[in-house]
Amino acid sequence: MVEPVTGRGHAGEPTSLLEVRQLKVHFPFRKGSWFWGGTGWIRAVDGVSFTVAAGETLGLVGESGCGKTTTARALVGLTRPTSGEVWLEGDRLDQLSESAMRPYRRKIQMIFQDPFASLNPRMTVGAIIAEPLAIMGIGTKRDRQLEAVRVMDLVGLNPRFLNRYPHEFSGGQRQRVGIARALILNPKLVVCDEPVSALDVSIQAQVIQLLMELQQKLGVAYLFIAHDLAVVRHIAHRVGVMYLGRIVELGSTHDIFSSPQHPYTQALLSAAPLPDPAIQRGRKRIVLRGEVPRPDQEYPGCPFADRCPIVESSCREQVPQLAGAARQVSCLKVSQDSLSGE
Amino acid sequence: MPDTLLEVEDLSVEFRTDEGTVQAVNGVSFGLRAGETLGLVGESGSGKSVTSLAIMGLVAPPAGRITRGQIFYRLQDLLLLPRADMQRIRGRRIAMVFQDPLTSLNPFLTVGEQLTEMTRIHLRLGAEQARTHAIEMLERVGIPGPERRIDQYPHEFSGGMRQRVMIAMALSCQPEVLIADEPTTALDVTIQAQMLELFQELQRELGMAILLITHDLGVVAQVCHRVAVMYGGRIVETASADALFARPQHPYTLGLLDSIPRWDGRTSQMLKAIEGQPPNMADPPTGCTFHPRCPYKLERCQRDMPPLEPRLPVDESTPADGQKACFVEVSRTRAAEVNHG
Repeated sequence: MVEPVTGRGHAGEPTSLLEVRQLKVHFPFRKGSWFWGGTGWIRAVDGVSFTVAAGETLGLVGESGCGKTTTARALVGLTRPTSGEVWLEGDRLDQLSESAMRPYRRKIQMIFQDPFASLNPRMTVGAIIAEPLAIMGIGTKRDRQLEAVRVMDLVGLNPRFLNRYPHEFSGGQRQRVGIARALILNPKLVVCDEPVSALDVSIQAQVIQLLMELQQKLGVAYLFIAHDLAVVRHIAHRVGVMYLGRIVELGSTHDIFSSPQHPYTQALLSAAPLPDPAIQRGRKRIVLRGEVPRPDQEYPGCPFADRCPIVESSCREQVPQLAGAARQVSCLKVSQDSLSGE
Repeated sequence: MPDTLLEVEDLSVEFRTDEGTVQAVNGVSFGLRAGETLGLVGESGSGKSVTSLAIMGLVAPPAGRITRGQIFYRLQDLLLLPRADMQRIRGRRIAMVFQDPLTSLNPFLTVGEQLTEMTRIHLRLGAEQARTHAIEMLERVGIPGPERRIDQYPHEFSGGMRQRVMIAMALSCQPEVLIADEPTTALDVTIQAQMLELFQELQRELGMAILLITHDLGVVAQVCHRVAVMYGGRIVETASADALFARPQHPYTLGLLDSIPRWDGRTSQMLKAIEGQPPNMADPPTGCTFHPRCPYKLERCQRDMPPLEPRLPVDESTPADGQKACFVEVSRTRAAEVNHG
């Protein structure tokens, strides 16, 4: 393996494993109408910054189209960022070529949402799990198989199933295969994109518990992407709330859930049901008007302005920036003084 | 019960598959009253969707077969009705909203054409009348600019808007019973909140009965009056929503409630997952279908299927409510336990 280029440079605090600065991912699309054509840009991710410390879980939540999955894909190199920087342990990754990126892939792995679509149906589970080692050219075939047995045991899969095929496994077991494959290279960070949302409720809990146990055992960090707020509350140490390609609020899980500051976070939480009829009846709900606007235009002001219950005229003129220290909020109407008091 | 609109009695449905005969629904009974929302809760393969398809007369032979039971709508057995009579009830008196609004709308017809089809057939409205009615319905479900939107095709609508169109369609003949199969599962939470609000509003206004099929216990807690929990094709526990959440008495219901995290932090640090896998219904376990995963199982649970029996009251001040199918008394009050979380 190539030794990573050393030197922290200006890569921020040495404690953060991953640092993302002003990440933008814009996709071109053909604007075609009968009187006018041209190229438009879908601003899927529009200036996202965050850090992930070693061994911690950062949750990214938001509704469909908010850019959370595109952010994840840009980090692991599945989508090229339009601009911005991605730093891993002091090395800048976003401009590396495919081959230069390869050694870093050991350190960042990904788990996908759909355990039915993300495993090759023609490979045995053992081969699927050991494939990252084979691609990296690590060890002999026998070594790799031993490694596969080791991680299968780690994720609670019976190593006797080494030579079985994905279709012989249930959804929960398949997701364990995905986790084993992500862990075989001993990564520092695993990007989990909706890892439990395709699973039945009773199986979800098994996989969430497993991910948490593995973090304790291995010290791996997670970037955990999900739309289910309850799951994120349970697994994440810190949470970033995304809306229309930006992070609108970022802070410790406890702060975000017990005293949300951004009007979108507040609306999102108030819309999320609780499995408790007595509480559910007494809750005040903020029902947002309309839907998330299309991310194909630049907004002169706050992207949430059209749906915001506390919007003012100044919100439509000035783009709010994420501000604050431990707790960051991008809203002109949330004063920084109220945040520092926490 | 005079105000019971829909009564399902001992319903059993089986499907022939490559793996053999699958008993998808096995002796399911429940009633649905006017103005009431009943939640049918269960995981994939529990038989909740098949139950709803059976009510709508959509279990297609030869693969699917209703082997036993009756489905009464206002004292007429839907299973014995001639096809033409069933068609007069389906869509008119009993309407359904499906989970996926993208695949349940015809992409080649405008939203207006699909919305007016029902009212022209069932209510015999003329073209102009039907169009006016359709515009009203679109407005009712919160679609802005309905006069313009009515001539657009489904692909011009977002997911949330399409689901509204589906709901407008289902409600356009003012049905007495609405069957909604995971109506908000494909939607984001803020849109889900809008939809659930709309259901409740329309129910208050029209006195509609709603059968809500879902796996989401949060949604159940928000809108359902009563709940029936299904596992392996059977109802294993049923009660008022308050009683069920306050004091679940079937090990599966208990396990389900213990295995979901809550965003308000009242979850214990360890989620208690239900071990094992849902049953393979082509080869179901003997006795109680839940016994292989049940932490409370007795020896007899492997032999005998427990019948539905009355539940215990939540506390001394309330009367007993609902039924559960379990030999063991696993009841406990949840409220006391969650608070320290």
